[in-house]
Amino acid sequence: MLSHLIIGASGLYLGDMLFIAISFIILMALIAWVAWNPITKMMGERANKIANDIDTAEKSRKEASDLADQRRDALSHSRTEASGIVAEAKQSGEKQRATIVADAQNEATQYKQSARKDIEQERQDALKNVQSDVADISVQIASKIIKKQLDPEGQQALINSYIEGLGKHESR
Amino acid sequence: MSDPVPTVKFLGLTFNVANDLSILITCLIVLLFVFLLSRHITMKPKGGQNVLEWLVEFTNGIVKGSIKGNDASHFGLFAFSLFLFIFVANQIGLFIHIQVGEYTYVKSPTADPVVTLTLSLMTIALAHYAGIAKNGAKAYFKGYLAPFKLFLPLNLFEQFTNFLTLGLRLFGNIFAGEMLLTLISGLTSSDNWVSYLYSLPVELAWQGFSVFIGSVQAFVFVTLASVYISRQLSPEE
Repeated sequence: MLSHLIIGASGLYLGDMLFIAISFIILMALIAWVAWNPITKMMGERANKIANDIDTAEKSRKEASDLADQRRDALSHSRTEASGIVAEAKQSGEKQRATIVADAQNEATQYKQSARKDIEQERQDALKNVQSDVADISVQIASKIIKKQLDPEGQQALINSYIEGLGKHESR
Repeated sequence: MSDPVPTVKFLGLTFNVANDLSILITCLIVLLFVFLLSRHITMKPKGGQNVLEWLVEFTNGIVKGSIKGNDASHFGLFAFSLFLFIFVANQIGLFIHIQVGEYTYVKSPTADPVVTLTLSLMTIALAHYAGIAKNGAKAYFKGYLAPFKLFLPLNLFEQFTNFLTLGLRLFGNIFAGEMLLTLISGLTSSDNWVSYLYSLPVELAWQGFSVFIGSVQAFVFVTLASVYISRQLSPEE
């Protein structure tokens, strides 16, 4: 085998060696043209695309979390606002209630006072009427009883004093 | 390999027609293979593109396993072509064996030492060229004196043995495989049909094993090629 090898290398197959070398180089060039260059280009592009996709995914994830934060802030803000509004409404309602109650109370006391005044007035009037009526009636009775001796004007003062004392006794 | 070979003399050079024909067929098969797989290259790979990309990744992985850094990308195409060529060349002899008269015309081209040694010579030459191109001629020649001057003959001899072992390993494996295939098929004879009964399974088994050997040898050749290239690129290792 070794002798075969040495003979081969020394000249018998020199053409073969050239043929192999040249055909392999041509094969390499054709592979580069047909498959290697397009495929490695595509693989490189894909690697770039994947890297870009990862970057954009990272970015949009960050954006989404930012948006979520913003929304959470807005939500808590609006919650405090709403509770503020509710508290305010409660306060104003309370105030209104208090004023209404106070008004009603005032009115009621006014009514009570005026009613008392009216009653008092009426009583006074009634008393006055009764006074005069009683005076008249008693004068008439007295005049009827002691017709001739008693003149109405002379006895009026006496009767009045009596009735006043009666009224005082009555009103107590 | 004592068979007579068909030779042709052309321009003062001798050509072994059997080798050249086999090499041509191998080249055509490889070319057809990559041509058909690379027809519709899209961003989203499917079908043949996946196979091709897997092969590219595979050979790139071999190269990157020994060559570090950016230099690896320069040798991807070489490794890819070398792997496909040797792989197909190793298998072709298992399926096709055309014999006309006393001459064998088509067989595994890698079963011939001239072919494998030429491939290994090309590889070693590329390694040395890459070493000079990267580190400069001064550093390249200094590499022969490392670690000290007495190592010069040893280093020279190492380069020579690298070249020889790289080619002869491939040749030995494939040649032995083909030789045994021929021997097994020689067990049969047309007037004794019983011989087919025992030689067929043996032939089948050995053919399967040869497919395995051919694949492993293609892988080993490319791996060693990238190791030799990386040694020239960074000699201090």
